[in-house]
Order: sequence, then C-alpha cells, then structure tokens
Amino acid sequence: MSGIAPPVLSLQGISKSFGPVVAVRDVTIDIRANEVVGLVGENGAGKSTLMKILSGLFPPDAGEILHHGRRLQLNSPLDAARAGIGMVHQEQSLLPNISVAENIYLGRETRFMRGGTIRWKAMRDAARRQLDRVQIAVDPARRTETLSFSERQMVELAKALTLEEETDGQIVVFLDEPTSVLEDAEMRILFDRVRALKSRAAFVFVSHRLEEVLELSDRIYVMKDGEVTAEMPTAEASVERLYHLMVGQQAHAEYYREDRQLPCGAEVVLRAEGLTLPGQYRNIDLTLRAGEVLGIAGVIGSGREALTRTFAGLAPHAQGKLTVRGQTVRLRSPGQAVRCGIGFVPQERRTEGLVLPMSVAANMSLPSLRRFAPGGVLRSGRERQVAKDWVRRLTIRTPQVETSCANLSGGNQQKVVLAKWIEAGMRVLILDHPTRGLDIGAKEDVYDLVRDVCAQGVAVLLTADTLEETIGLSHAILAMRDGAITQRFDAAPGRKPSQLDLIRHMV
Amino acid sequence: MTNAPRAVLAANRAARLRDFAPLTALIVLIGVIAAFAPSFLSVSTMLLLGADTATLFIMATGLTWVILLGGIDLSVQSVASLASVVLAVAVSHVGGLAIPLAIAVGVVAGAISGFAQDRLRIPSFITTLAVGGIAAAAALVLSGTRSVPLPPQAAGAVGWITASTVGVSHVIPIALVILLGSLFAERRTVFGRWTFAVGAGEPAALVAGVPVGRVKVGALMISGALAATAGVVLAARLNSGSPTLANEFLLPAVAAVCVGGTALTGGVGGSLRTLIGALIVSVVRVGMTFVGVDVFAQQIVFGFVLVLAVAITIDRTKIPVVK
Repeated sequence: MSGIAPPVLSLQGISKSFGPVVAVRDVTIDIRANEVVGLVGENGAGKSTLMKILSGLFPPDAGEILHHGRRLQLNSPLDAARAGIGMVHQEQSLLPNISVAENIYLGRETRFMRGGTIRWKAMRDAARRQLDRVQIAVDPARRTETLSFSERQMVELAKALTLEEETDGQIVVFLDEPTSVLEDAEMRILFDRVRALKSRAAFVFVSHRLEEVLELSDRIYVMKDGEVTAEMPTAEASVERLYHLMVGQQAHAEYYREDRQLPCGAEVVLRAEGLTLPGQYRNIDLTLRAGEVLGIAGVIGSGREALTRTFAGLAPHAQGKLTVRGQTVRLRSPGQAVRCGIGFVPQERRTEGLVLPMSVAANMSLPSLRRFAPGGVLRSGRERQVAKDWVRRLTIRTPQVETSCANLSGGNQQKVVLAKWIEAGMRVLILDHPTRGLDIGAKEDVYDLVRDVCAQGVAVLLTADTLEETIGLSHAILAMRDGAITQRFDAAPGRKPSQLDLIRHMV
Repeated sequence: MTNAPRAVLAANRAARLRDFAPLTALIVLIGVIAAFAPSFLSVSTMLLLGADTATLFIMATGLTWVILLGGIDLSVQSVASLASVVLAVAVSHVGGLAIPLAIAVGVVAGAISGFAQDRLRIPSFITTLAVGGIAAAAALVLSGTRSVPLPPQAAGAVGWITASTVGVSHVIPIALVILLGSLFAERRTVFGRWTFAVGAGEPAALVAGVPVGRVKVGALMISGALAATAGVVLAARLNSGSPTLANEFLLPAVAAVCVGGTALTGGVGGSLRTLIGALIVSVVRVGMTFVGVDVFAQQIVFGFVLVLAVAITIDRTKIPVVK
C-alpha cells in the first residue's frame, strides 16, 4: 500500500517492565491501513504485554504510540476504543449472562438511550447489522452463553468492528490467538471474513501457529524475549525461517542440562488409566516413573491444563482409574494430593504458589507444618534454620528468611515454591509453566533444580511455556489435542523429537 | 528493595501505618482526656477502665480470628445474649456447670455458621447473620422475653467472676488469660499459622494442603466460644441474663478489631492489636461521656470510627471489586 500516509498505528520504542522482569523492550511496530500484520513469538515473548498496552490496561514505561501520526495517550480501555483499537481475545471477553446485542454495545449503551431508558429494539437492530457484516446468523437477542465458541469469536469480531462508529480513521483489530480452539472449517470462515474486511480495517494477527500466519498476513513481525527481532513481507518468510527467529540459538542441550538427564527409575509412582473429565479430557493413559520428567504438550483447549489440575487435586476426574504409589485414589482436594505425596507448582505463582505476604520461612514450612510443631507447638527456631538451609542451597536472594515473599523476584519466589515441596518430601511434582515470567538465569536455576530432584527419585509432570523447554527437560512427551493424547514421544538425550514432530500431533 | 514493585512499597507503607497508628491514637486519646481530667490517670480509674473494656475485648478477640481469615461474625452479640440467658436459667439447676454449658452453646452456634459456610459455600456474613437471628430468637424463647435475674444461690458459682482481689476485678485477669491464650494460638500453633495463611492467600494455602474448610469452622467456633464467654462475664457483672443484654455490642466489637489494625481483608492483625483497639473504643466512650454525649448517640461516633479505621487498614490490592 502507500508509504505516503502515516501508519494507522505506530509503536515507537515501547518498553515495559514488571519489577525486575522486562516484558517488552524498545519495540517499534507500524500497522498500515488495509493490512494484515502477523505478530509471532513464543509464550513470554511479549505479545500479550504489547496488546495490553494497546488496550489501555497499563501505560508503557517508555516510548510512544502514534495514531495516524498523532501522539496517542491510552489511559483506559475506553481510550483504546475511541482510537479504534479493538481486541478479539483468546480468552473471550464476552459476558455470558447477557444478550449478544448487549455484549456488542457494552459500555456504549447511551447511543440507544431515549428519555433515560434503553431502546432495546434499536440496539438489537444495530447489532444485527454488525453481525451481518461478519456474516454470522445469530439472533442478537440470544443469551451469549448459548453460543458456540466460534460463534462467540465472530461476535467478538463484530463487536470490534463497531469501533468504526467511534473513530474517523481506520480501525485496527487485534486477533489474539484466534485459531487455537477453532475447527478447521471455522478457521476458514474467520480467514475469509478477515480478507473481506481488510478493505475497511487493519488487522494484527497474533499467533504462534506459523502456517496460519503465513497464509493470512501481508507482513510479519517476530518477537523474542520482549524484543522485535525481525520484520519481513510474507513473501520472504517461511515456517523454518520464522521458527528459527522465534526460538533463536539458545536451544542447545546444555541450556536444559541434558547431560544431567539420568535414566529414570523402574518404580511407577503415578498411573492413569482411562482418566476422563467430560468437556476437558478423555481416556488418558499415562505412567510416571520415579526420576522421570514427563512433558505434556498441547495448545490451549487441548485439555492439558485440566489434566494437570486433576493431579494437583483441584479438578477431580470423573471416570477412569488413578493410582498414586500403588493406591487407587480420586483427588478431591489439594490436601489429599499432598498426603499422597504430590506437590503442585502452579502457573499462578503469586496467588496459588505462595502466600505472598507471608515470610520465606513460613511459606517453606506451610505444607509440612505439623513436622515443625511436635506436641502442637511451633518450633520457630527449627523452622528458621530449615529455611536458612534452603536459602543457602538454592541461592535464594532474600535479605532474611523473615522477609515477605512479596519482596522477592519471580525466580527467587519460584525457588521458595520448589523448596517447600522438597522439604515436605513430595514424590511427585506437578510443574505448571514453572519458568513463566522468569529471566534466563532464573530459568536455568529452575532447570538445575528439576534435574536435582529427579536424581533423588522425584517424578515430575511438566507442562511448559514452550515446546523447546518441554523437549529439553523431558524423558518422554505426550502430545495432546482436543482432550486426548495423540502421541507419545521418547525424549532421551540425543534422541529428542523436533518441535515440528510435536506440533503435527498437537494441531 | 529498590527494585520492589510500587505496589509492594505501598503495601509496606500501609503495614507500618497499621503497626503504629493504633497505639499512637490510644496514647493521644488518653493524653487528651487526662489533660481535661488529671484524675483519669489514677490507678483506680485505669482499673475501672480495664474492667469495663474486658467484656468487649473478649468478644472482639474471638471476632479477630474470623476477621483474620477475611470473614466476619455478625452473630457475636446475639450469641453473647443467648449465653447470658442460658447461664441465668441453668445456674439454679446445675450450679457452676452453667458456665461451660453457656460457652458450649456459643461453640455450637459458631460450628453451625462454620459448617454452613464450608459445606454449603455461603459467605460468613450471611451464615452468621442467620445464626445470630436464630440465637436472638432462642434467647427470647428461653427467657420468656424477659430479663432473668441470677438467683441468690448463684453467688458462689458465678460471683467469683466479678469479685476483686486487692482491688483488681477478676474480670481483668480473665481477659488477660484469654489474651495470652489467643496470642499463643496465633504465634505458636499450627492452627494459628494456618489462619494467617488462609487469610493472606487462600488459594496458595489450599494448594499447600492446608485444610481451609476446617480452619474456617475452627475460627467461627472460637468466635462463638468467646462471644459466649463475654455474655457470661456480662451476666455476672449485671447479675442477670437477658435476651437483649449484649445488644449494641456488635458495632463496637467490629470497631475494636479494625481500629486495632486487623485488616478486614484478612491475613494481617491479631489479638494484641485488638486489645489496643478495644482500649481505644473504651477511652473514646469515656471521653464522650465526659464531654456529655448521650450513651445512645455514641454508636454514631463508633460508626464513623469504624469506617475510618477500615479505610486505613484495608488492603485494596486484594479487592479489585468492592461489592
């Protein structure tokens, strides 16, 4: 298109940190009129942070946003809407308990007001016109929760397009991982709509599914570790090239301590047979041996998150048989999982991993508190001593063991989470995105710790942020798709599967 | 610390304010009253103040356990009244055993609230509101809607509570024993640690295997027991049980806990703070009486004080939505 008019949206040197973690660094991106821009990068590359900045959820630390060449200050999602920036979210943002029409015009109902009341028919008619534009035959009066996932996604798209009425210039619609839970046919429909609507809007297609990005986009930006590492017209891109740029060179065996990957023991500590939780996963068979790291690979909606929570006692299975260290169990609570010797290292470190305001020592002793209280009286001296030992052994950077965990960096927080489970003598650790939000050094510390506990015969069930991490750490990998295991891969050092092998069984 | 996120620094500032503001306020208040009436600082006045504060403090200490979890117990005043009636009715039949019986009634009331909260997953403010209503009605039925004077033969069984030794009312050592017991439970027992963990971060406590449901039931049982104890002490002091005996106690009790610095959002605070809070409430009450504020109008002041104290102590990062 023309290079004369300024881009619809231009990010200039945007940076954002959360405490010590740099989420995006000096990002410069142009989005031009009538263009589909692909934005690719692994989880944690900074795509979500960038979108949250553009939604007006938080301001950047540095850099500026230009809208048709003019400086744009986004203080709230309403500001973003006024500038014509719309989001179609991966985790959908529609409210389930109101009608489709109400969702489309949520927060902008005043245009249908007359004499202090809302004219529902006018709203429904306007909504119907919007729905027609994305060619979806849904009654705008329907309650949103009765729609299918792909219908809701189309409604989100229709809602984003209503921003045309708010702004003079062209609107920019961000599609955040829109295809990850769609059937192939539904994806085709979405792509057709985007192509048809390109004449009146710019799109940013955010995804890690490279084939789809190549198919839909005109131009592609690659992000890695918070920075834009490449920009190219789609004609010059290929899956291999993008992939290489996304993952970079760090994917060497040393990084994941593959030399320390010992053969696992014979003892089966956890066995699932035909495990099913309707709507989440079905017929899961797996065995986890002492000293083994079993990775589970799958996209959002593959059922791996629910499966992980089942083993942690947070989502009891409905059918099938679960055996933990020889005992058949149904884990109804995390407390029961802990008694079975299963410790959960959750993705939500700051809410589920740690009681954030409490001290390092108190968090470390929490699962095994009774052992610190012979006769019912807490021995705080012993508690402090044990905590000091862990702080030294895991080189946890904290001024004191009495320091509140809220004052620690993410990596040190994660070490406290791991220390509490090792101290409690867990035989199985469920690691749910254990390195999310950590910097490289902290990640390496976590990998070392995983190898340490495995050497002591602890079994690890891993769902990681990236396939690279899954492959690097695991002894074996299960690929999941649509709630079922599609393939098992052996991942002994030197015989690791490639990411493309895994992806074929995930999507 | 230089790298700590701004929210953490703000939280640390709020924590410091919570730590020192109540004690400072208490000292300032006592100073102001003493400036107008120097006799206020005499030993006898202080002992009287202590004895007057004891009932409120005992009730507020129980309530502290529930508030530490981020819950609330709205049944305390009705449970205290019910306990006073149980004591007055039972003492002529079972003598001194009426005291543990009355306290047991409080424990049962707390257990009912707790199980309803845990098993039926109903917020504590609803279950305790309901149980409070039940307790109030039970007290009315049991007493025949009248105040029940303690019979003369109760003097031995109950009279020791209000007797004095070397000028110190026994109510004061009773309150001190409860304070020490509560402090010990907070700081040196597994249950105490669990309470703080659940209050400060329930999801993480749950994942760590803490029996969250049992902790909640336990805290409400403590609250019920201490509310009943407060009712027993009150009955002994007034020499009668009555279904309306402890009316007007709920607001000052919640105010004592919050003014002391225990955050309504849970996880921060304790009985020592509640002692300071209860003393502040008492001193304010004395001050108002001194200035000539009508007893019934004093609740107006407590209402404002409560809102102010909560505004200062609450941890807003924990409540993204105020309902």
